[in-house]
Amino acid sequence: MMEIINKELVEYPYLEKPLSIYTFDNGYKVVLAPKKSPMINISSWVKTGSINENKDNNGVSHFVEHLLFKGTTKYKAGYFDKKMEQLGGIINAATWKDYTFYYINIPKEHFRIALELHSDMMVDAIFPGQEIGPRFDIKGNPPEEKRERYVVIEEIRMGEDNNWRKVYKNLNNIMYQNHPYKREVIGTKEIISNITQEEIVRYYKTFYTPNNITTIVSGVFDEEKVINLIKDNFRFRDNSNIEPCVADKKIKETKIKNPTVVYDSSDIQTGYLMLGALCDSASNLKETIALDLLSTILGDGKSSRLYSTLVENQEKPHYYQIESCHYQFKDGDNFFIEANFDPTKKDIVIEELKGQLRGLEKIEQTELDKAKKRARVNFAQESETVCDIADAIGFWMSVCEDITLAKKYLSTLEEIDCSYLQSIAKKYLDPDLVSISICLPEGEKNGTL
Amino acid sequence: MEHYNKNNINILIEQMPKTPRISISFFFKVVKKEKFAGINSLLARLLLQGTKNYSASKLAELFENQCIDITSKAKQDYLKLSLVFLNEDLKEAINLTKDLILNSTFNDYKKEIYKMKNEIISDLDNPKFKLTDCFVKTIFDNHPYSATHTKILESIDNITKEDIIETHKELLKNFHSIVFVGDCENKTELIDYLSSNFNFLESNDTKNEIEDLFTTQNKEDKLIFIPKNDAQQAQILQGWLVPSFNSPLSPNYSILNNILGAQGLSSRLFVNLRDKQGLAYTVRSQYETLLHSAIFDLYIGTAPININKSLLGFEDELQKLADKAPLNEELIGARENIKGRLKYFSQNNSQICSIQGYNYTMGLGLDYNEKFLSKLDKVTAEDVSNTAKNLLQTPKLTVIIAPEEYRIE
Repeated sequence: MMEIINKELVEYPYLEKPLSIYTFDNGYKVVLAPKKSPMINISSWVKTGSINENKDNNGVSHFVEHLLFKGTTKYKAGYFDKKMEQLGGIINAATWKDYTFYYINIPKEHFRIALELHSDMMVDAIFPGQEIGPRFDIKGNPPEEKRERYVVIEEIRMGEDNNWRKVYKNLNNIMYQNHPYKREVIGTKEIISNITQEEIVRYYKTFYTPNNITTIVSGVFDEEKVINLIKDNFRFRDNSNIEPCVADKKIKETKIKNPTVVYDSSDIQTGYLMLGALCDSASNLKETIALDLLSTILGDGKSSRLYSTLVENQEKPHYYQIESCHYQFKDGDNFFIEANFDPTKKDIVIEELKGQLRGLEKIEQTELDKAKKRARVNFAQESETVCDIADAIGFWMSVCEDITLAKKYLSTLEEIDCSYLQSIAKKYLDPDLVSISICLPEGEKNGTL
Repeated sequence: MEHYNKNNINILIEQMPKTPRISISFFFKVVKKEKFAGINSLLARLLLQGTKNYSASKLAELFENQCIDITSKAKQDYLKLSLVFLNEDLKEAINLTKDLILNSTFNDYKKEIYKMKNEIISDLDNPKFKLTDCFVKTIFDNHPYSATHTKILESIDNITKEDIIETHKELLKNFHSIVFVGDCENKTELIDYLSSNFNFLESNDTKNEIEDLFTTQNKEDKLIFIPKNDAQQAQILQGWLVPSFNSPLSPNYSILNNILGAQGLSSRLFVNLRDKQGLAYTVRSQYETLLHSAIFDLYIGTAPININKSLLGFEDELQKLADKAPLNEELIGARENIKGRLKYFSQNNSQICSIQGYNYTMGLGLDYNEKFLSKLDKVTAEDVSNTAKNLLQTPKLTVIIAPEEYRIE
């Protein structure tokens, strides 16, 4: 049985009691977050996602996420879902570039059984061939027996009908040269229809190792009992005898090498655009905070620069939706502007958005004050429910691999002034170093730049 | 949650000590058909677009500088102004809200109509949105609930400033309640503070002129096919008008919905259509209750080639429940699942404010959740089975969006 080698208490903004962080001798981590609530959240965050994939197995992280619900040595597929949901639980999982996480939110009286089933799924998934479904040629007829493999293909198809997803996929592909972030997390129909059970199991055994997993419990609990239950239940298998999956080389890209504009079209009436820039890693705390602030100033809310200038102050605005956002990743953040607009104004839109980036060379103190307050309020918001708390902790533990950054966030925030913000805008949001992806109505001319 | 009436204003308060953010909502009832489809939504938007004291930009700045999150939304049965903010900003939030309700000018109504139209056109780019729009418009036919986005587009240009002012006056007459959830040291002071600031509002119980519509008007099944040739997935929505929360049959529909397709990953539609047949990523049922009607519907997004298989799947699952009542274990599981979901969605101040405010405004009472849960305990397996039978015997509406080559009649 694994043994605790370290216990640390860490203050966390807006929580009444500190977090307890346990590290075990096999590298596995547990974070306990006390919070008054009738619900309890159990989550396990695995430090793997499309970052650990290559061109031949792209999408396997997400497929594994689906398949973890398909049975263990002890329990058949469906038992976990049914048992948890019939006790009032809300269960699910999600996969992103740097992480995959599995969660249960359940009335606290059912904690013990929830933890037992959750740990069983995490350490003993068996990936039955019958549940995965047969491999098939995506260009031929679909197989008679359509199981989880086909569910994922339907999920891919669903994304293809989503205009924002289409634009994001194209942008992501042109922003990076070689990094695995270039690929879609969900993968392709070609790979998912053909990937073998062996490859799936090999991926699971390579990355679902104790030193790659953090389990978070948030709610009302007896700490000692919880830790003992976790020790009893999380009995990780020794998978050191496998030939590990090899991910693509991960060379950080923090600047777009070849800024490009890419076009797509669809049966739509309006235009969709995403403009993107690459930045440094999420764990570069001061820069990450600065990018959060810049995103608030530029495009969060009706008083933001984008909305007030391009919508509120126009008699007939040609933007129907406009905002900016900052995505944080282990190997480098992304900064985006998203615009839904009158497709006949495409060229004007591109110039206006680049102009807005140029305008970040000057930041007013009032703008900075507003953005700082928003950053503090976001922390308050993230402490309101057991699931919000678990999600925030999971992010810090998996993407930044350092929970103490959460506490440092607020003190570092106070150090930032307008000139620092301007320097970060200059460093990362240069209008000549952004790529752009646009989806227009069929028949609308792409134009040239 | 406790109810107070001061100066003829209904105030609901739930004290949540040591929580950093307060949530307040103002509920106004919709009691008659809109003069123009969408005028209530337009009014809700215009409440944030400028007052006698502040321009729209200035208002946005004042709210957002303090991180006071405000939303103004018109739904079928009510209009709600909701605010969430840090405890320290209570006074600022109240002063600004008072200004919005009392002093909105509606001067920018033409621009807001322009924006609203374009946002609707953009929403309709989404096939799922188009599907729902067509379904709701058709199932409610001429009822006020049929005022969907495509209907709004037909008439929005005819709205004048006078129409908006008139709708605003009507709204003030139909104010219902203020709901406060958050940290509050002195309840009496808070009640005095809220009632004195909003003494121009009066909680009224005006007669509701909107007619009830609890049964489908069609005599036979109706199918609408909307071609979309570049669609990767077919979108299918099938449903019925059914009794709503005031009916004794409502708990039966809630349990049926949970077992059939709302439980999450273990509902029958999910297990049999998704897990076993791989027909979809999303498949679900939904029981949406309104004051004058309710819809029970089934949705799937599937490969166009699987349209018929999916429709058969819907029917099969309902038929199985009609033929054989669910086992006791499934029935108990459904009740517990609904209870757990209610707890899950009542965790923060904003969620509590929204749920309790809605229940109270709909006349359901502050103890509605407890009453609802105890009614669920009385639903039998036969009730669930009979409810499924009833749906199978009632004409249904089906709307499908898919490429033309997959058209079915």
